Amino acid sequence: MATESRHRGSTDSELVKTARAGDPSAFHELVDRYAGFLFALAVSLSGNAADAEDMVQETLAGAFRGVAAFEGRASVKTWLTRILIRQAARHCRTARRRRATFLPLEAAAESHAAGASGHTAADTRLDVMAAIGSLSPEHRAVIVLRELQGLSYEEMALALEVPRGTVESRLFRARREMQELLKEYLG
Amino acid sequence: MIECRQSQALGAYHDGELPEPSRAALAEHLRACPVCAAELGRLEKMSRLIRAAERPEMPREVLDRLHRSVDLQPRITMLHVAEVCAAIAASILLVSTVWLWRVSAAREAGPIPLWETAAVAPQDPSGVAAQEQLAQWIVQDLSRKNGHD
Repeated sequence: MATESRHRGSTDSELVKTARAGDPSAFHELVDRYAGFLFALAVSLSGNAADAEDMVQETLAGAFRGVAAFEGRASVKTWLTRILIRQAARHCRTARRRRATFLPLEAAAESHAAGASGHTAADTRLDVMAAIGSLSPEHRAVIVLRELQGLSYEEMALALEVPRGTVESRLFRARREMQELLKEYLG
Repeated sequence: MIECRQSQALGAYHDGELPEPSRAALAEHLRACPVCAAELGRLEKMSRLIRAAERPEMPREVLDRLHRSVDLQPRITMLHVAEVCAAIAASILLVSTVWLWRVSAAREAGPIPLWETAAVAPQDPSGVAAQEQLAQWIVQDLSRKNGHD
C-alpha cells in the first residue's frame, strides 16, 4: 500500500507539520521513507524479522501518538531511531523473560562456537551476526548504528539519549569486544 | 596486546569524527607508531566485515502491514482513551460503594456509649464528681442495653 506521490517533494519537517495538522497521508509518506531503514535496524538489534516487524510497528505507533509533541530539534530519522531503540530495549527485556530472545543470533552463536571452518561468505555473515548478538544491548546498539547504519556520533548521542562522550566510550569498548570475537578474521 | 596512549582516539579518527588539529596530529603519529597503525588496520578490516554482512530488505507485505497499522492508530487511541475513562469511572464507583457501606454500617451500630466519651468530658480538680458522673453514664448505658429504659 504505497502512498500517492502528493508528498514526495516535501521535506520531513513539512510532512511532520502536515501530519500534525491531521493529514494521515503525510504520515504514510514518512512510513514509506523510513520503514526500510527502521526494519534493517530492528533486524540487526533483535536478530529476527518477526520481532523486527513488531518493533517497527510499535515505533510507528509511538511516533504517530507523539507527532504533536515532536519539536524538530533532532531530525525525523534520529527521532524515529530513538523511539526504535527504546522499543528494542523493552523488547529485549520481554524476550529475555520469555527466554526466546535472538533466536537466529543464538543459532549463529552456536555455529560460531562450533568453529567456522572454510570461512565462506555465509559463515562470515553468521559469525558477524553472532558477534553482534553476543554484545550487551548498549554495545550492540552503538555497533549497529555506526557500522551498519552509518550514523554520526552526534546522531547516535541524540538517538541513544546519552552524551557524545558516552557514545565514544561505548563504541571503543564494543569494538574491542568485536575484535576479540572476530579475531580469526582480523589476523 | 601492546597499548599506545593514542589508541583511544583511533576510533574517532577511523569514523572521520576527530576534529582538526587532533586529526592531523594523529595522522602524523600513525606514520611513526606501528602499534596504532596495526590497530587502525584492524578497525578498518572489522568495519568492512560488518558492512559486508547482509542487510535484510523489508518485504513488501511488511510495508503494507505497517501502513495498515498506522491507519488503525486513531481508533486504537480512541479505544485507549475509552479504557482509561472506564477505569477511572470504575475506581470512583468502587470508592463510593465502600464509603456508602461504611457509613451505613456505622449508622446501624447506633450511638457511641456515653461512658466511652468520658475521656473527653471536662474534669473537676477533685475527680470525685467526674467519677460519679462516669458511674452514672455506665449504669445508664448498661440499663439501655438490657432494655430497662
